[in-house]
Amino acid sequence: MGIPHIFCHKNRILLGELIKTDFKLRYQGSVLGYLWAILRPLLMFAILYIVFAKILRFGDGIPHYPVYLLTGTVLWNFFTECTGQGIQSIVMRGELLRKISFPKYIVVLAATATALINLAINLCVILIFALINGVSPSWSWLLVPFSVVELYAFSLGISFLLGAINVKYRDITSIWDVLIQALFYAIPIIYPLSMVIESGSYGMLAAQVIMLNPIAQVIQDVRHNLITSQAVTTWEVVPGWYGLIPILLVILVLVLATLFFRKRSKRFAEEV
Amino acid sequence: MSKLPRCIHKSHKSTPSSDQAYAIRVHDLHKSFRLPTERAAGLKQAIFNWLKGVKGYTEQQVLRGVSFDIRPGEFVGIVGRNGSGKSTLLKCLAQIYYPEQGSITVNGTLVPFIELGVGFNPELTGRENVYLNGALLGFSHKEMDAMYDEIVHFAELEPFMDAKLKNYSSGMQVRLAFSIAIRARGDILILDEVLAVGDAAFQEKCNDYFASLHGEQTVILVTHSMENVRRFCDRAILIENGKVAVEGKPDVVATAYNNLWKKED
Repeated sequence: MGIPHIFCHKNRILLGELIKTDFKLRYQGSVLGYLWAILRPLLMFAILYIVFAKILRFGDGIPHYPVYLLTGTVLWNFFTECTGQGIQSIVMRGELLRKISFPKYIVVLAATATALINLAINLCVILIFALINGVSPSWSWLLVPFSVVELYAFSLGISFLLGAINVKYRDITSIWDVLIQALFYAIPIIYPLSMVIESGSYGMLAAQVIMLNPIAQVIQDVRHNLITSQAVTTWEVVPGWYGLIPILLVILVLVLATLFFRKRSKRFAEEV
Repeated sequence: MSKLPRCIHKSHKSTPSSDQAYAIRVHDLHKSFRLPTERAAGLKQAIFNWLKGVKGYTEQQVLRGVSFDIRPGEFVGIVGRNGSGKSTLLKCLAQIYYPEQGSITVNGTLVPFIELGVGFNPELTGRENVYLNGALLGFSHKEMDAMYDEIVHFAELEPFMDAKLKNYSSGMQVRLAFSIAIRARGDILILDEVLAVGDAAFQEKCNDYFASLHGEQTVILVTHSMENVRRFCDRAILIENGKVAVEGKPDVVATAYNNLWKKED
C-alpha cells in the first residue's frame, strides 16, 4: 500500500465521483441553488456587522472593518463546515462501507471538499469586497493560499480523528457542536485582538494563549496579508520561536490523526 | 503475534503464469466479531464499562479456519444456513472485513457484489448512478463508457436513463443494478443472493446469461437455491459453523444442504 497508492488513478476517480455527487445533491430542490453557498456566509456576516460594527462599535479604529469581519467569518465558517461534514462522513457513508471495499479516507476527503469549494468562491467574494472597500492589492496577497492550506490541514486532522471516534461513540458530534460554540468566542473573529491586550494586567497573556490556536493564527495572518497590517499576528504577540507552535500543532494533529484513522479504519465496516 | 493476518491481492499482469493454477486461494481463515453486550454505543457506557473493568463486548467466532481453492473459470456455489458465515466469508474475500488469521490470495481483479446497487442515490439519474456505482467498484470513466451501452441494453432501460432513479419502479432499479453487476468486467465475479430479480422474462434472460458464463468467467455465487446450484455451478461448498463442511459436486453438496435440517428432526 503506502503513500503512492493513496492517490492512484482508481481512487482519484472515486473521489471525484463522490465530490460531484455531494455537490449535485447538496442544493437540489432549492430555488436559489448554489447561490446559497455565497448567500449564507454573506447573511451571517450582515448580522454580525450590524450587531458588532454598528451597535457595539467593535470595529472603530480598524481600517476596512467590514472586510476584516467578513474574512474572519468566512474562514471560521469554512472550519466549522469542513469539520462538521468530515466528522459525520464515515457514519453517513456507513451503508457504503459495509458493502464495498475502498480506502476510507476518500469518504472524509469527499465530505470536506464541498467546504473547500465554497471557501474558494467566498475568497473571491472577499477579494471583490476588499477592492470595493478601497484595499489596495499587494504582493502579500500571494501568502493567503498557504494559510488556507494550513487551515484545511487542521480541519482534515480533526475530521480524521473525531470522525474515526464518532463511528463508535456518536456523542462526538454533540460534544463538537458545543466545543465549536466555545471556540468561536476564543478566537478574535468579531472582536479585535487589541481589545484583549488592553483589557488588563493579564491581557497580554490571554492574547498570547488565544494566538497559539492555529485557527486564530490563520485568520489573523490572512487579515494581515490581505487587508491591513494592523491585524495583529501570532508573530507579533508571541515571542520568538514560540510563534511556530500553531504550525507544529497542525502537523502533529494531522499526522497523529491520520495514523489513528488508518488503524481504526480496518474495523469501520463492522462497527459503523 | 506469530500469525499475522495477510491479505494479498495480486493483479493479473504482475503474476507469472505458473501461479495461475488458482484464481482465489483461501487458507485457514479466521474471523470474529465484537458484539456490544449492553448499550455500549455511547461514551457514558464506555466509561462505566472501563471503570467496572467490564469488556463492553463479547467475541463471536464466525469463521474458524476456512480453506479452499477456486480455479480460474470455475463457477462455485457457496451454500449454508443463515448465520453459518457465508456472508462474512464473502466480505473477507471482498476486503471489506479484515481477517484475524489466515490468508486470502487473489489472482486477477475481483468485482464483488455483496448487494446490488451499492451507492445508488434516488436523486441522481440512471446514467449518473451507473457511473457512480462503477467508480465505487473501481472502474474508470473510460471503462464505464465502454460498458455503458451494454449495461443499459441488458437492463432494457434505454428511454429512462436520464430520469431520476426515484422515478423508477423498484423492478427497474433492480434491473439496472443487476445489469451493472453482470456487465462489469472483472476476472472474478462475486454475487450474493441476487439471482431473483425482475419479472419472469428478465429472470430467464439472467439465467441464460449465467449459463453462458460457464467456463468463461470465475464466479462465486452465494445462494439458498439448490436448483441454481445444480444448474450453474461446477462445484459447491457447504459452510457450517464457520468451517467448510462439504465440498464437491453440486449434487452432493445440495443433498448435504437439504440434509442439514433432517439431522435435527
